[in-house]
Amino acid sequence: MMRNHLSVIFLPTNKCNVNCEYCFEDKTADRMSLGQLSTVIVKLLDFMDESSISSLTLHWQGGEIMTMPVEWFEQAHERIGALARARNKRVDHGLQTNMIAYTPRWNGIVKEMFGNSVGTSMDYPNLYRKMFRGGPDDYTRIWNRNIQSARAAGIDVGVISVPNRETLKVGAESFYSFFVDELGITDFQVNTPFPGGEQNDTKRGLELENEELSRFFLDLTDVWVERGLAEGVKLGPIDQLVAHFSGEPSCLPCIWQSNCADEFISIDARGFVAQCDCWVTSYPEYFFGNIFEHDTLAGLLKNSTARQEFVARPAAIVDKDCIECDYLSLCHGGCPVRTYTMRHTLLEKDPYCQLYKSLFRHTQTVAARLAGARVDRTDLRETLIHTGKGKSCGSSSQTTAAAGWQTQPLVQLERRKALS
Amino acid sequence: MYLNAVTYNIPAHLFDSYQGRKVIVRSDNPNELVIYLSRANLENVLYAQLTSPTVELDLDPLLSWTCALPIDVLVRNPAAEYPLLYHFSRLLDKHPVRISIPVKEGFVKAVRLALALGFSVKLEVGQPDVCLIAEMAEVLDLYLHRSEVSQPVEYFHSTFLSFFNHQQSPNLWFVQEEDPEHFRFITNEGVETVSPRFGEIDWKDLKLIPGAHQTAPTLNKTECEGCEFFETCGGYFKWPNREFDCEGIKILFSRLNLAAEELRNDLVSFQELPGGPPA
Repeated sequence: MMRNHLSVIFLPTNKCNVNCEYCFEDKTADRMSLGQLSTVIVKLLDFMDESSISSLTLHWQGGEIMTMPVEWFEQAHERIGALARARNKRVDHGLQTNMIAYTPRWNGIVKEMFGNSVGTSMDYPNLYRKMFRGGPDDYTRIWNRNIQSARAAGIDVGVISVPNRETLKVGAESFYSFFVDELGITDFQVNTPFPGGEQNDTKRGLELENEELSRFFLDLTDVWVERGLAEGVKLGPIDQLVAHFSGEPSCLPCIWQSNCADEFISIDARGFVAQCDCWVTSYPEYFFGNIFEHDTLAGLLKNSTARQEFVARPAAIVDKDCIECDYLSLCHGGCPVRTYTMRHTLLEKDPYCQLYKSLFRHTQTVAARLAGARVDRTDLRETLIHTGKGKSCGSSSQTTAAAGWQTQPLVQLERRKALS
Repeated sequence: MYLNAVTYNIPAHLFDSYQGRKVIVRSDNPNELVIYLSRANLENVLYAQLTSPTVELDLDPLLSWTCALPIDVLVRNPAAEYPLLYHFSRLLDKHPVRISIPVKEGFVKAVRLALALGFSVKLEVGQPDVCLIAEMAEVLDLYLHRSEVSQPVEYFHSTFLSFFNHQQSPNLWFVQEEDPEHFRFITNEGVETVSPRFGEIDWKDLKLIPGAHQTAPTLNKTECEGCEFFETCGGYFKWPNREFDCEGIKILFSRLNLAAEELRNDLVSFQELPGGPPA
């Protein structure tokens, strides 16, 4: 049903404290009680037992996660730890927050539960992130103040950013400078926009042209290679693609997994289970079920016709043109939620296909260039890169057909485990 | 590995009768495989084989089985059925998985997807015509030159290794698991044969199978005589039609040989870089 590692995008609250125009979540006032939390955790651990899964990552978000009291988290952490220890399972936690409600009171639990690390979001320029009272500038000012405060307290702050039309106008150099030079952020990720949830004028104009967006991503790649790579700046997914094409361990985003339905689920404050946070907050017709109403998560997932649509999607679209794509192993048709919100069906490939292909091609070239610089002999570079079997054929133990196919996937499995 | 033992490809329901012998256990039912194999010592089990993969097949028994026994998935109609490989990709997290793909028109799509998903591949090759040789050449290009391909494609991989290492390796009869000295196929009724490809030929009548031991006198008068790839091939492609024209097959062998030589030379040059290879 799932991979060896279970990932859950967990929304214990559907409530939010800001009013961003392009948010893909349709908010409610629901919050999960500690009792309900325990019920959810027990069912997750039962599922892990049934599926021989030993570790779980809870990606905490909302709504806005910091609308919950710090004390709730302190008790939640204790309960989850006790339940997991009793079942000999490992549970890790990640935190995604808008940081608007952050105060130093959060520092203790952020350190104890979340490894002193938070993920947040900001765009440049900020057009759509707003307070209920006040515009984007007020939002940016409060956010900036709070992330600087958190960083001063030793918290690592990673930022997700979504380009908009103004981003494309100001260009990659200014975008990069804002985050790295101006804010001192050294770990950020760029996502593509999509109009999820209830429609409004902002969302109707959110989709960006592939060609313009590709130019931005390619320019940003070049800026990062020139200014960030050697300095250790993390810029997802670009840095991970360069690592991938360099033959290094990499961790690519969910949109490029072979099937996101095999990777994670999302559970919201009402107990609804769906594919990810956008689906679970905004598309009831795609709910897999409610975890409070089912005896087991395994049963809920197995009997969900909505989930079957996600499971079947890559196989249903691969014959259209993905099968001929040079980057099939990287993408598999892209993101269901981008496809659905922009094309109103699951059964097409991701509308940003052209962007992805441009980015794959460019980062592949960058990786080759970097490899060439390392080898310092350009005449060898091409040969070494294009003779891909060089990395495995030196093994003298692979002398029979049987030994070859049985051992190599195990190596891959270990590598994947090491990354998770 | 198992070079000196006979391995029997048996239906799961005969598992108990073959205790103590090297076996490949096949079934069209994952649950049946797990039921039979869970109660036995798996030391002698080379792998389990799923013979009729469909999207309706419930893989949960194999996914929740704690044993990481290798699984071979036998695709029957690759051009039409290849999307179902997504269904089987979940197995990779619990088992090494190989996809056996018959070389039939359009099979390259199945190979492309299998490799994209991280499966090993074995080509069930037979005697390919010109069109299929062209598809095989496309697969060979994927195997040799696409950096994202990280799994072996048999028979190319073993052949490449034998060329690369300049070593005497088992020939294609062994690589394809059809060498009657080492592999036997037990029908569902319990009859011992060589492989499905050999039909009703009794395994004891080895002289009818050209090249299996490189001793069949009939081969001396065929294209195999003097063929530079005979040691690697063993006359594999001369069955069942001994008049089969190997020209296309020999081109594929040549490309593998050339690639092995190029890689060997590249690695030597790499080692000889001024100051040694970079860290």
